[in-house]
Amino acid sequence: VERIVKANDREYNEKFQYADNRIHTSKYNIITFLPINLFEQFQRVANAYFLFLLILQLIPEISSLTWFTTIVPLVLVITMTAGKDATDDYFRHKSDNQVNNRQSEVLIDGKLQNEKWMNVKVGDIIKLENNQFVAADLLLLSSSEPHGLCYIETAELDGETNLKVRHALSVTSELGADISRLAKFDGTVVCEAPNNKLDKFTGVLSWKDSKHSLNNQKIILRGCVLRNTGWCFGMVIFAGPDTKLMQNSGKTKFKRTSIDRLMNTLVLWIFGFLVCLGIILAIGNSIWENQVGGQFRTSLFRNEEKKNFVFSGFLTFWSYIIVLNTVVPISLYVSMEVIRLGHSYFINWDRKMYYSGKAAPAEARTTTLNEELGQIEYVFSDKTGTLTQNIMTFKKCSINGRIYAGEEYGDPVQKKEITKKKEPVDFSEKSQAERSLQFFDHSLMESIKSGDPKVHEFFRVLALCHTVMSEEDSSGKLIYQVQSPDEGALVTAARNCGFIFKSRTPDSITIEELGTLVTYQLLAFLDFNNIRKRMSVIVRNPEGQIKLYSKGADTILFERLHPSSKDLLSLTSDHLSDFAGEGLRTLAIAYKDLDDKYFKEWHKMLEVASAAAHERDDQISQLYEEIERDLMLLGATAVEDKLQEGVIDTIASLSLANIKIWVLTGDKQETAINIGYACNMLTEDMNDVFVVAGNTVGEVREELRKAKESLPGQNHSILNAHAACGKEQQLEMASVGEEDTAPGDYALVINGHSLAHALESDVKSDLLELACLCKTVICCRVTPLQKAQVVELVKKHRNAVTLAIGDGANDVSMIKSAHIGVGISGQEGLQAVLASDYSFAQFRYLQRLLLVHGRWSYFRMCKFLRYFLYKNFAFTLVHFWYGFFCGFSAQTVYDQWFITLFNIVYTSLPVLAMGIFDQDVSDQNSMDCPQLYEPGQLNLLFNKHKFFICMAHGIYTSLALFFIPYGAFYSAAGEDGQHVADYQSFAVTMATSLVFVVSAQIALDTSYWTVINHVFIWGSIATYFCILFTTHSSDIFGMFPNQFPFVGNVWHSLTQKCVWLVILLTTVASVMPVVAFRFLKVDLYPTLTDQIRQRQKAQKKAKPVRRQRPQTRRSSSRRSGYAFAHQEGYGELITSGKNMRAKTPPPTSGLEKPLYNSTSWLENLCKKTTDTLSSFSQEKTVKL
Amino acid sequence: MKEIPEQPLSRMPDNTAMKQQKLPAHHLRFSAKLVLSIFFGTGAFCLCMGVILILSAKKTKKVEINYTKICANCAEFRENAYNFDKECTCSIPFYLPQKMEGNVYMYYKLYGFYQNLYRYIQSRSNNQLTGEDVRDVENCAPFKVSRDGTPIAPCGAIANSMFNDTIILSYKLNSSVHIRVPMLKNGLTWWTDKYVKFQNPSFNDLPSKFAGSTKPPNWPKPVYELDKSNPDNNGFLNDDFIVWMRTAAFPTFKKLYRRLYRIHHFIQGLPAGNYSFNISYNFPVTRFQGEKAVVLSIPTWCGSGGFFLGIAYTVTGALTWLASFVLMAFHLTWKRKKKEVLQERSQASSRKAENTSGQ
Repeated sequence: VERIVKANDREYNEKFQYADNRIHTSKYNIITFLPINLFEQFQRVANAYFLFLLILQLIPEISSLTWFTTIVPLVLVITMTAGKDATDDYFRHKSDNQVNNRQSEVLIDGKLQNEKWMNVKVGDIIKLENNQFVAADLLLLSSSEPHGLCYIETAELDGETNLKVRHALSVTSELGADISRLAKFDGTVVCEAPNNKLDKFTGVLSWKDSKHSLNNQKIILRGCVLRNTGWCFGMVIFAGPDTKLMQNSGKTKFKRTSIDRLMNTLVLWIFGFLVCLGIILAIGNSIWENQVGGQFRTSLFRNEEKKNFVFSGFLTFWSYIIVLNTVVPISLYVSMEVIRLGHSYFINWDRKMYYSGKAAPAEARTTTLNEELGQIEYVFSDKTGTLTQNIMTFKKCSINGRIYAGEEYGDPVQKKEITKKKEPVDFSEKSQAERSLQFFDHSLMESIKSGDPKVHEFFRVLALCHTVMSEEDSSGKLIYQVQSPDEGALVTAARNCGFIFKSRTPDSITIEELGTLVTYQLLAFLDFNNIRKRMSVIVRNPEGQIKLYSKGADTILFERLHPSSKDLLSLTSDHLSDFAGEGLRTLAIAYKDLDDKYFKEWHKMLEVASAAAHERDDQISQLYEEIERDLMLLGATAVEDKLQEGVIDTIASLSLANIKIWVLTGDKQETAINIGYACNMLTEDMNDVFVVAGNTVGEVREELRKAKESLPGQNHSILNAHAACGKEQQLEMASVGEEDTAPGDYALVINGHSLAHALESDVKSDLLELACLCKTVICCRVTPLQKAQVVELVKKHRNAVTLAIGDGANDVSMIKSAHIGVGISGQEGLQAVLASDYSFAQFRYLQRLLLVHGRWSYFRMCKFLRYFLYKNFAFTLVHFWYGFFCGFSAQTVYDQWFITLFNIVYTSLPVLAMGIFDQDVSDQNSMDCPQLYEPGQLNLLFNKHKFFICMAHGIYTSLALFFIPYGAFYSAAGEDGQHVADYQSFAVTMATSLVFVVSAQIALDTSYWTVINHVFIWGSIATYFCILFTTHSSDIFGMFPNQFPFVGNVWHSLTQKCVWLVILLTTVASVMPVVAFRFLKVDLYPTLTDQIRQRQKAQKKAKPVRRQRPQTRRSSSRRSGYAFAHQEGYGELITSGKNMRAKTPPPTSGLEKPLYNSTSWLENLCKKTTDTLSSFSQEKTVKL
Repeated sequence: MKEIPEQPLSRMPDNTAMKQQKLPAHHLRFSAKLVLSIFFGTGAFCLCMGVILILSAKKTKKVEINYTKICANCAEFRENAYNFDKECTCSIPFYLPQKMEGNVYMYYKLYGFYQNLYRYIQSRSNNQLTGEDVRDVENCAPFKVSRDGTPIAPCGAIANSMFNDTIILSYKLNSSVHIRVPMLKNGLTWWTDKYVKFQNPSFNDLPSKFAGSTKPPNWPKPVYELDKSNPDNNGFLNDDFIVWMRTAAFPTFKKLYRRLYRIHHFIQGLPAGNYSFNISYNFPVTRFQGEKAVVLSIPTWCGSGGFFLGIAYTVTGALTWLASFVLMAFHLTWKRKKKEVLQERSQASSRKAENTSGQ
């Protein structure tokens, strides 16, 4: 299907009925709300079930409860849900309106007019100004920049904050800002149908009898922001719901918690149980009808025929289904939702998860997953922006065998300074020294001032050998555009030390050396790549000397050193391993003086090689090898990839909680490993770190096998055992103290290529098995899709609850596929946050989210469910017992009003209060003792076993509730000789007993008695009596004699001593065994929680002892800390001058030249930039 | 620079105890002391209560005579439909060895009569019984209207099946003189029943109040002729009728029939001696294998419930005490064991810590 759009021709375009630019994310409007919402609600099994019951109740033959017992709760529940849906939709309407009412300038009737976004039509030409949001998917026609270039930021689309270039066709860019010509523009675009591919577009523009092909480079997508461009004109191709943004916003997967799934199973079980009870009672009824009822009934109802007892049993079955329906309480689901909502608010309100730096509070974006936070077993984390700040700081250096270490100042002002990389250009050396607080070592400054040539040379390398572009902004400030943040850090460090990189042209580099401007002639640029792991420049300094400056991986450079550097090498090598031990990224720095003649020869060979048809790259790299020999070592740099605050602590504490953390990053292997060390996920004293980097399936499998074999005493069967009982063991052990359970610590590092193979079906299990045995798993160079695949793998095969945390667009897929997705907010890109279920600003808040909020949510929800099920069993099953004494006639034990109100009024609030506010241990203790988290992972607090316990408890209570009053009332009379054993008094006694018993039970269950609990529990009992007295009052009887037949009952029953004695005995008999069991359990087999609670009580004022975390032990074993986030290919861009901004043409180039071949280089540039950008977006190493 | 609206400066959540989940609270925890003392206390209370209840139940004097079999001939007589308007009486002599002091109540007791059947309970019209509208027979199926379509008053199955035996207790003062024991027909009902729930339609003349309605099919006479001796005890306000209309919870139940009028010989209660019940047998129970009995009893301070409550309290009390001893035993032995284990463990761990630190 193709789309045909004609510019400036609304009538023509209307034929196709394309969507207009109005977006609807809302579901309802005022008219459709009721039918659609009701339809949706009754699709839920529970609601449909109650509707079914309601219909059953309307059949007079089987109706055993009056209609209001079901309809009142049902209406209440449905109204509540509808209310929630309506508010949600209201906010959607509001945000839709806000977006739809944004203004944009549209060319209508030859004039630019302000128009609301929603009125923009396909084919319209609209004008955008700098920093405006793009209203629809546009074909770029012209812009303020030469060649119809424009810059856009696509943060909302893919999370990338660096600018991307778009450029118009040359034929349209000529139109410029000429309104009259634009108004006459009548090109026709034939293009693809709306789709969700952000980086692809194919189409053809036909205008003035010629056809121009269109690609993604000419399209500006809705959601982008125009940057650094004065204005631009575009023609709307896709509008509203057809835009790629909207097409991409896809349906979020409906996530459900494991408790939900368990509850669904249990509800089915309960339903089965209900049917069983119904059948038993129906059979009972048949027998009774046959033996007793037949004659009895005919004597009672004289004019009635003797009924078929089988049919009577059948009717009784349905009647009992109605009577016993309260075992599946309608309020259960609503209460669960309310509790979750409460917990979500607690997350939103938590000041300890509020990041003041970005004014970002934590946010629970979904309100239905909270208790799952208490069950996480695997955390999948992105690296950049999540674990690390994506800020590189120059921490240390070793120059000529001497370490210079800067102190760290954790001043936010500085951080800002570094991130923005802005500094006044014209400052003296002194003012610079002041500004360079971030790396400040007096001895270094002294060395610089004293003119130590090695030190100068060192910084010269840093200032010259890089791919940074410099630019002056309007206020004359020097701005560096860096390709990799490492380089930014190094160049900035050099600048701070007085070697300021000022500008570059394709063949020169200008730096300011301690106040004097020096221009170096750039002779060759030996670019970086992954094999070479180094980069060099060859420059001629003003004195005419030719120098080769090189920086690269220590392991590589050290092989190429001149023998005379040997002593320095061993010294530097020691320093490097120190740096590496601290998790710093290191680079070795070297230089070489070149002979003029030699260089010329070499250069010639290079030119030949560059022109070579075959094996060009091979030849070039050989030449590079040749010249980069006999280098003189200068020293080494150590750059810190700054971790987010508290990452190490968080990871340590999460792993104490038996949560496995996997790092999934697009970064390179070295970088990833480095971060692993930096945040203690990898340690030097690990038994082994398996690195899997095979290129074929076979290799990968072999590597995995080998790694597995090297694990001591592992066989396949141990896996499951480890998962199931291993944890219980650990739990027990944890209560004693920390003990090593694992045979040893292992780590797995796997890269994207290998992962692609490893994710294939037959290798999968090997990977999983190995990965689960390892303490740390790091996947590097993975694509967003692979991230999701890994998550899916674990989710599916380990049957574990997973959490994915990330900040960028590349994490969206894993955030969506994990059970719980967490987005790091406060970043510029919103994609991750939008896709996430929870968001906060700092990785460290994960600890609090899981260990405190998650744990509490799980704990509360389980407690709530246990109590709720118990309560309903106790409440409902008395009808079953009563069935045996009332001829199985489906007579209810309680008053109809009591049945109606029991779940929604008399007992709902105390259990809600418990479900929302209860705390077993304080938040501080939960944080301090991560082992407390494990019951959630093991599903210990609510599972099928616990369900049966609740059921047994409920059945016991119902027995006590029924048979004690039965025994006491059996042919009894009151003190005044009058009735007590009449049905109504019995009902009141039972109901009162039940209210007392369940209130006592909730009082026992509530472990954290706040004012609210008091109010609710006492209030519920009070409410019960109020309503009891009201429904039994003569006034209300006078008004509705048929609805309130219990008139006066409460006075007669509750003034009888024996009734109170019965109530008391019932309560004691139902509650005491529970107290005894609980006491024994806590006393004999205290769980960790019990111990902590005891301790908490004992030393309420004493400060809890913080658990000692294993300290990082640095061993002296040699490890390369090399890591460099750099892409290949920038050298070429620099030497060709292609990425110099069009605005500031290189000063050396003539003015006449560019126009001629402008299009070609422009296209080239665009190609280059998109290539690199798209590779960035995959690998996510650089964010500007 | 951006169009994105600036976030409000302070989005810091409020620092309230509620929002930070720091509400002052009491932690509920069961210490051994507390639990054991609660158990002992409860046990003691239940035991005492049980003993008291048993003792007082023992003191209750009760005479119960099942006359289903004794009056079997009457039952047979009643089975024959032609005898519906004939009377059948049967006399049951019994001997009261000890006098019954106090307010003696006479009950009739039915076995196997399911007054708690769902449809039976529903088959009444409260609206009619309040005297609002005698013709309101809405819920009364299957006894709404008579064959000719006149609404039944009182309608419904409950009213239709009303107990209609007459029981007269007579005392044999000496071998020749039989005194009819004076019994009261009023004060048998709850106040609310008599004055709120049941009301006659507001006319002066009772029969005219019920004009336009007919008697229930099982009744021999209309509702306004239930008690000919006392005009106020008629219509819906008849005590026997009200008592019957308060349906029983279980298939075996007793309902208050008369109470002793304490005058002359009976000012103290019932003296010991020979008595007899003279029963005019009307209510059929043999058709559904039911039984009938007449009961004389004096309720105690906690009603006349028999021994169940007393025994239940005693058993609960005993069990609670047993449980508390068991709990105490467990608590003490395990506490010691646990202490030992903990000590061992802490020693082991400290040793281990020493080892590791030594390394």
